[in-house]
Amino acid sequence: MKKVRGHGYVRASLLAVALFGAALSSACGKDKPAAPAETPIAPVPVSQIPGHEQIGEDTALKESPRLVPQEAYMRTYLQLFGGLAPADVQKRIKLGSATLFDTWNDYLSALGLPDYRLDLPRAAQTSSLMLATFERLGVALCDKAVERDLRAGAGAAANRPVFAFDLPSVEPDLAAFTTRFDSLHRTFLGYPAALAGTSRTARFYTLYTNAVAAHAAPGAAKSAFTASEAGWASVCYGLVRHPEFHLY
Amino acid sequence: MTRTDRRTFLKVLGSGMLAATATSMPVFRALAQAPPTGDEFFILIHAAGGWDVTLSLDPRNERKGIVDPASTDNTDTSNLRRWVDVPLDADTQSFALVRPAGSNLVFGPAIGDMGDMADRMTLFNGLAMNTVSHPDGTAFAVSGRHLAGGHPAASSVDAMLANEYGTSQLFPVVSVQYPSSFVGSGLDPRAVPLRVGSIDNIAKSLLRSAQYDTKADRDAVTVMLAEEARELAARSYFPETMNGMALQLGSLRRLLDDSLSSLFSASALAAAQPTLGPKDASGKPRKYQGAAATNAAFAVEAMKRNIVRCVSFTFGGFDTHNGNYKFQAETQQEAFDVLASLVRALDASPHPTKTGARLSDHTHILVVSDFCRTPQINLAGGRDHYPNGSAIVVSPRFKTNMVYGKTDADQLLPDDAGAFTDGVRPVSPPDLLATFVSAFGTDPRKYLRDGEVVKEVLVG
Amino acid sequence: MRAFLPRCLAALAVTGALLGAADTASAARGLADYRYFRALTIDLAGRMPTRAEVAAFEADGFDLDGYIDQQLAGPAYAERVRRIYMDLLRLDVGPTFQIVPPQTTLRREQIQGPNGKPLGIYYRKGQRRARIETDGDFCMTQDETGLQFPPNTAPTGAPKSVSQEALDAATVVVKPWWLYRDYGSAAPTDRYDAATWATRLPGFTPVVGLTMELDGTTPTVEIRICKEEAQQAPSGTIFAPKRPAPVKGAPPPYGRLAQLPQDSAYATAHAGEAIACTMGSSLGMAADCGCGVGLERCMPGDGPGFDPRAFSFPTASPLGDAAPLDDSPQAQSAWLRYFWGQEAIHFLDNVFAQDRDFRDVLTARDTWVNGPLTQFYKSVAPAACCGDGLTLGYTKEQPLLEPSTLPALLPHDVMRWEHVADRGPQASGIFTMPVFLTKYGTRRARAHVAYSTFLCRDFISGNVQLRPSTEPNLMIREGCSTCHATLEPLAAYFTRITESGWTFLPASTFPASSTTCKADASGNLPGRCKTYYDPAFADATHAMLRGAYGSTDHAEAGPRGIADAFTAAPEFAPCVAENIASALLARPLTTDDAALRTALTQTLTDGGYKLRALVRALVKSDAYKATNDVVAHASRDGGAP
Repeated sequence: MKKVRGHGYVRASLLAVALFGAALSSACGKDKPAAPAETPIAPVPVSQIPGHEQIGEDTALKESPRLVPQEAYMRTYLQLFGGLAPADVQKRIKLGSATLFDTWNDYLSALGLPDYRLDLPRAAQTSSLMLATFERLGVALCDKAVERDLRAGAGAAANRPVFAFDLPSVEPDLAAFTTRFDSLHRTFLGYPAALAGTSRTARFYTLYTNAVAAHAAPGAAKSAFTASEAGWASVCYGLVRHPEFHLY
Repeated sequence: MTRTDRRTFLKVLGSGMLAATATSMPVFRALAQAPPTGDEFFILIHAAGGWDVTLSLDPRNERKGIVDPASTDNTDTSNLRRWVDVPLDADTQSFALVRPAGSNLVFGPAIGDMGDMADRMTLFNGLAMNTVSHPDGTAFAVSGRHLAGGHPAASSVDAMLANEYGTSQLFPVVSVQYPSSFVGSGLDPRAVPLRVGSIDNIAKSLLRSAQYDTKADRDAVTVMLAEEARELAARSYFPETMNGMALQLGSLRRLLDDSLSSLFSASALAAAQPTLGPKDASGKPRKYQGAAATNAAFAVEAMKRNIVRCVSFTFGGFDTHNGNYKFQAETQQEAFDVLASLVRALDASPHPTKTGARLSDHTHILVVSDFCRTPQINLAGGRDHYPNGSAIVVSPRFKTNMVYGKTDADQLLPDDAGAFTDGVRPVSPPDLLATFVSAFGTDPRKYLRDGEVVKEVLVG
Repeated sequence: MRAFLPRCLAALAVTGALLGAADTASAARGLADYRYFRALTIDLAGRMPTRAEVAAFEADGFDLDGYIDQQLAGPAYAERVRRIYMDLLRLDVGPTFQIVPPQTTLRREQIQGPNGKPLGIYYRKGQRRARIETDGDFCMTQDETGLQFPPNTAPTGAPKSVSQEALDAATVVVKPWWLYRDYGSAAPTDRYDAATWATRLPGFTPVVGLTMELDGTTPTVEIRICKEEAQQAPSGTIFAPKRPAPVKGAPPPYGRLAQLPQDSAYATAHAGEAIACTMGSSLGMAADCGCGVGLERCMPGDGPGFDPRAFSFPTASPLGDAAPLDDSPQAQSAWLRYFWGQEAIHFLDNVFAQDRDFRDVLTARDTWVNGPLTQFYKSVAPAACCGDGLTLGYTKEQPLLEPSTLPALLPHDVMRWEHVADRGPQASGIFTMPVFLTKYGTRRARAHVAYSTFLCRDFISGNVQLRPSTEPNLMIREGCSTCHATLEPLAAYFTRITESGWTFLPASTFPASSTTCKADASGNLPGRCKTYYDPAFADATHAMLRGAYGSTDHAEAGPRGIADAFTAAPEFAPCVAENIASALLARPLTTDDAALRTALTQTLTDGGYKLRALVRALVKSDAYKATNDVVAHASRDGGAP
């Protein structure tokens, strides 16, 4: 466990701020000479400092992210299946895809759920087996979501649990991809993709285009998906297995 | 964040180059380094519930002090191969001690086939457990620390060894209902024990369908996610969690690379290791330790393929407070039979990386329990919890055919074992664990707050 | 300018935090805001936010405080808090605790019927019968069936068709409760139908072996059962026929595998007196006590095994009993064990959903039951009573849950949970629930888990060497006293509930210090006393009730005493705050969190121990928001923070 957490960090930072005040003023003072020593400097909001008007200010304290409670993961999974009961989800996945899923009970311990009968405690950290289980379950979710949401008869886009858009008629360029990816990003990770940093959307676009190319290539392995569906499935896999999906 | 990290952080804060230098943080550097590799394997076993050592490892067959020995009154002897009647009272019989030829070890009748393996064993008797609470005794036995606020205060020995020697393995540690704990930020995240209820569970998590996507599709996602995790770590004040995920994603690719289905099927394991199947060597179904036999078979097969560093599991059925005590001896006999079969299977298996060596030449087994059971029989005909313990080590790094530590004759309490830096005293679980991890060159202080290495039990 | 902005901003970001300049209320949401909203939803709604919820959060005027309050009023919040305490208490009993009292366990032997076809006959092991050949055993003989009936396994021998006459003499036909909803009527007709009952009475699914005949294809509409077991009277008479004592070395008579039952001294002394048929002792003492109307006092099994299968139900239900993950045929004993755990879950959910005083978890006298639990409390629980207690005068059980308080539910009402407002004077929160008393079978285990869960304290033994000693008082014995000086008095609170059971031992029958039970010259207690009184704390004048030596006052106070003591302890409220905070923050609280702990404790106590206020304060705290782990410059890379 960490020996120092948020509050300790704040205290340490207070000391640090006091100690390197000079460093601060010198760092910021290259364009703006320091005020004369006898003139007190009143604190101002950061946005009032020249050049800082449009720049965000991260004021939050920090802690390591936590593993999403296993029950919350399962409920979210069910919700992304349209709010079905666990047993119904199991049936739905296995319908026509018997090898995609076993039974919920087969995954409980790998997901880290506690077993009170055996006094097995709840897992608080991920393990490679847990990540393997996330992949197993996530792939099943996405494969079924592609079939349900991206094919004919899927209903109004906004009401679809995962893919709230239709399959583009032509392969999307980065701009077209970005809009759709943002929708998926919000669905799985709960915030706009633009806030994730500059590389994420591009990285997922590469993933998408590579998957499409691989499935469209001559001699590609037989798949129940079209190349485009396989591309969107890969994007879905990436989000449902994403570290930010499982941590909070 | 460790203290070192905090200092580093402050330096970074001072220079205003937080992110740029995040990858230079000591923890990150440690995680990024190639982990030590090894040729040693470890099997950690917990005899869950607290075993009655008077039936096997620290035998008592006479009434003395508060000791009520096992007898035909309180024990079902019908299936005990080594039980030989010795008169106790007018109508009841206790047992003759089991004295293996050429050995100075003495066992009780529940020792089973391990009675033929005195030359492979190092016994620890009179372990000062200082607790009679299952959770506390269990944690103390496997981590060397009592619980703190009901939670483990230190990592369990399987996680220690996995962290030290197993991070490059596909499975650093597979823990099947073993009381594994992973405590502290100083350990490599890949050493988090893979805790499962049964070996079969693992197979289900590793199965993949080829109906929609390909292995290449999934691998591409895994690679990208590892990049994402590393980037997130670089953007984090506390990068350990994200770095850990990146490392685990790296392991995942290898974990799914191999065809491991036969490793995680009880029937396939029984076929590969017939003496560790649901039936014993004589073809009789195991009544108590069938799951443990499967786990032992998994250990052998996984080690033969060099994909695991530690396997930890349990022997069950020892918490016998009432009439079920009648079967404690048979339960132990099965456990020791499985242990003996495991050792023989390791003998018969080639080491995966050391040409000409047997797996058993580099495999180290440690069996512990929560504590032991009262020397007296209670009103319900069983035995309750007692703050003494015994343990078995089967390891080429340990002197064999020897016992370290003892108990007093009248009350089965831990007696002085030898001179430690804090004086003459009984041996304790931290001493045992410190000795065990030190046998492979690990500094015990890296993982254990307490405990001293008992050098006299180590080879060389 | 741009080249040094990162350094400058890193410092300013910290400064801003220290000045308390954070403002997440603006409509332009930053990454930290989204993460906070997601965390709130995960913790309080029990799942990640939907796309629509994220959109609502982004809209101008979104009332975050209102959102928090809305979630705190929902069932997911209650479940989240309940999980915290279930993780600590682990209130589910594992398969090692098999509740198969012979009094309430019906097993089924397979014989050959008059028509030459297999025929199942239900019976209870140990049932007293007037017919000497079958007294205490299966109700048909080897002569009649060609079979012998070893315990817990299939009959042995060469089966022959029983005569109709012998069959009718020994058995009767019954329409039992597990097949008929209206089993209490004179002519039941509402037979189990898998298709319709799944909707009508969800969760009630007898295994196929109970609903189909042995041919596997014919629906069972009635069952054959030994006639003694089918008796319906609520009370019987003590039966002491003085069967011949077994001759040493001689085989049992009448082709039996077990010797004839012998009358207990109590039965001999009280022959002909009335005995309640719900009491466990009645099985071995009365030939006229059976399983009641529709066999409702007994649980069925589909074979002769020790713990035969009876019903299909979930092996795990982490999302609640309304969202089962599976439906598996399981042993008879698992049925009741499962619902013991569910009782605690429903009770805790109610405490948290209604925002009741948290101290109710320890002290409340109410509970929630469904049909199977109603059946358990009425018929199965009393069967644990009273063993040797009869000889000390415990002839009428004083239960922890008074059956007259139970709702009119039938065993099939699996998903119907009803409130029991007052279990009775002995009840005290979870401490007197079967799941707690069996999960933690000993007095010390019960006290220990209560101590660690509700006071956040533990027993850490000193690094001492235990020396041989004859001192039975662990509170003063060297090496033991460091823990037991505290533990024994706490364990004493559970003196009056039997270990590994739920039978209450009233002071009127079991005084803490008994002068009836006292040691003889050799220090031995009379045999009838040993179960309840401790020879280690006995002399020529008295004996101490087992466990009471730690504190007779605590023994008299009972579980309610430990509940009152703990809830009044100064550690109690801080412990609640710590348990909740460390669970939601997913880390132990440290000394750095002292202010948070103090503030949360104050919120809890000021608010009458209502957890909702505590959780509200926690999720609004900086510590909770601190799980945003992204450094300042990283936020800037994506635009707004």
